[in-house]
Amino acid sequence: MKDKLTREEVLHVARLARINLTDEEIEKYQVQLKKLLDDVDKIKEVDLASDEELITPIDEETVLREDEAGEMLDPEEIMKNVPVSNGNFVEVPVMINE
Amino acid sequence: MSKYLDLSVEEINGLLKEKKIKPIDLVEEALERIENDKDLNAFITVDSEGARKRALELENEEVDNVLFGIPIAVKDNIVTKDLRTTCASHILDNFIPLYDATVVEKIKAKNMIIIGKTNMDEFAMGSTSQTSYFGAPHNPWDRKRVAGGSSGGSAACISARLVPFALGSDTGGSIRQPSSYCGIVGMKPTYGRVSRYGLVAFGSSLDQIGPMARNVYENALLLNILCGRDDRDLTSSHKKTEDFTRMIGEDIKGMKIAIPNFFVSDIVSPEVLSKLNEVVELLKDSGATVDYIDIDYIENAVTLYQIIAMGEASSNLARFDGVRYGYSIEDPVGIDELYSLTRGEGFGEEVKRRIMVGSYLLSGENAKIYYSKALQIRNAIRKSFLKAFEKYDLIIGPNATTTAYNLGEGLDDPLKTFLDDILVIPVNMAGLPGMNVPMGFGEGNLPIGLQIIGNSFDEATMYKLASFVERKLDLNNDPKEVK
Repeated sequence: MKDKLTREEVLHVARLARINLTDEEIEKYQVQLKKLLDDVDKIKEVDLASDEELITPIDEETVLREDEAGEMLDPEEIMKNVPVSNGNFVEVPVMINE
Repeated sequence: MSKYLDLSVEEINGLLKEKKIKPIDLVEEALERIENDKDLNAFITVDSEGARKRALELENEEVDNVLFGIPIAVKDNIVTKDLRTTCASHILDNFIPLYDATVVEKIKAKNMIIIGKTNMDEFAMGSTSQTSYFGAPHNPWDRKRVAGGSSGGSAACISARLVPFALGSDTGGSIRQPSSYCGIVGMKPTYGRVSRYGLVAFGSSLDQIGPMARNVYENALLLNILCGRDDRDLTSSHKKTEDFTRMIGEDIKGMKIAIPNFFVSDIVSPEVLSKLNEVVELLKDSGATVDYIDIDYIENAVTLYQIIAMGEASSNLARFDGVRYGYSIEDPVGIDELYSLTRGEGFGEEVKRRIMVGSYLLSGENAKIYYSKALQIRNAIRKSFLKAFEKYDLIIGPNATTTAYNLGEGLDDPLKTFLDDILVIPVNMAGLPGMNVPMGFGEGNLPIGLQIIGNSFDEATMYKLASFVERKLDLNNDPKEVK
């Protein structure tokens, strides 16, 4: 069994997570991610009597709230935390190229 | 320096009512203690200005409840309006929340005074608080050792008697394990007992906010004001709030207690086992019964945690993208670069590791192979716990396999942080309440904690046993006095 992921495998999961890695980090994660994923693989060997899933440990029924307009945060306040803005607009780089 | 903060909150309350002291005296004393113990690194932000201002405002208010005017520290993943909330991460180190978490509204409504935001593992991911962007907090019992995590700053500031109360959060033991390492009382309530609105989400189906305090009674007092249905958290329970102190002081004769065999297996160090055995003898001598039982699949809880917590985290932390708040790189070329460079620079090593593994485990076919299987085992663990509670009142064991270890240990081992929490994770999987109460000291005078696990929404019975153990053992849990 190999003891680390390939560089491409690490770059694949980093891409899924939208995380840029330095070369040094890639090397480190090749070993560390392999160790974690091997450990997680143990779950495949567990035998179960039921395939019932537990998504959240609450017994009460969750009911969606009424779709009513409520008090909202002040847009001017919200903009204070925005890194790049233009008036009340959040500015982001060009997303679609012609 | 005055010593009011060494008194019980009821004694402090008496002095406030008689106008012998004012809230500002408590705030000044807390700030002085925090300054004197700066090297503990328990706080990320100390709000001296805000706390002083609030204390002066309170001079005109009636002392209407026992928590009035008492300083409290809040873990830095719980949002506080106009007070920086970082989650101990570079990606949020300039973030000023626009609203209060529900629990923060509640403590403010009781006129408690927020003194600052406590240090923690980055986004609560870790078991020692060493993944904090602001450096690790230290253990007041031995400053070369970890305080535990992820609520390490909250545990350290109570242990060192800087403030009487703190809020923590517990996704896989993050209240109980640092409480154990630091010798304080920490409660992770039943999932749904306390609103998670305003707690920066890590593992949404596991996260729960809870009280941390010097003793059992005061811990219960704080839980009294934290719970209740909140329409902004649809998983919060409609169950009525209750007085959690009501059974404190009662006899435990006839109480039926169970210990999972896994909790006394060879993963636990001999000194921790020996303390547990002393407590078991005490309980038996006091008329309780103690049986050893099996909880199905409990040994798989760490693996489930890795899958469920990392999966939920990868999804929850997708919101940190450099667009609406937090750290953002300058002049990105295209949206992809904005996302990936911001996240690459903004997140620390442990967080990146967990997001990547979580993303991988939830991608394509893997979701079925890993995530679905984990949810099935999770269901079986919860069922097994609930079955045990048909026969037993409480389940006990240790909270940690060892006492606090040295700072810097195990940082490069991605599995160590999970194994540190092997005894506390099962409770989050089952959604049950769990707590720590100190049960003695090991080598080097380091605290050892007893874990008490209750049935769903039965925190009151846990406090009953915890207070009994506390009273009988009568430990001195103040590190300054013991040294």
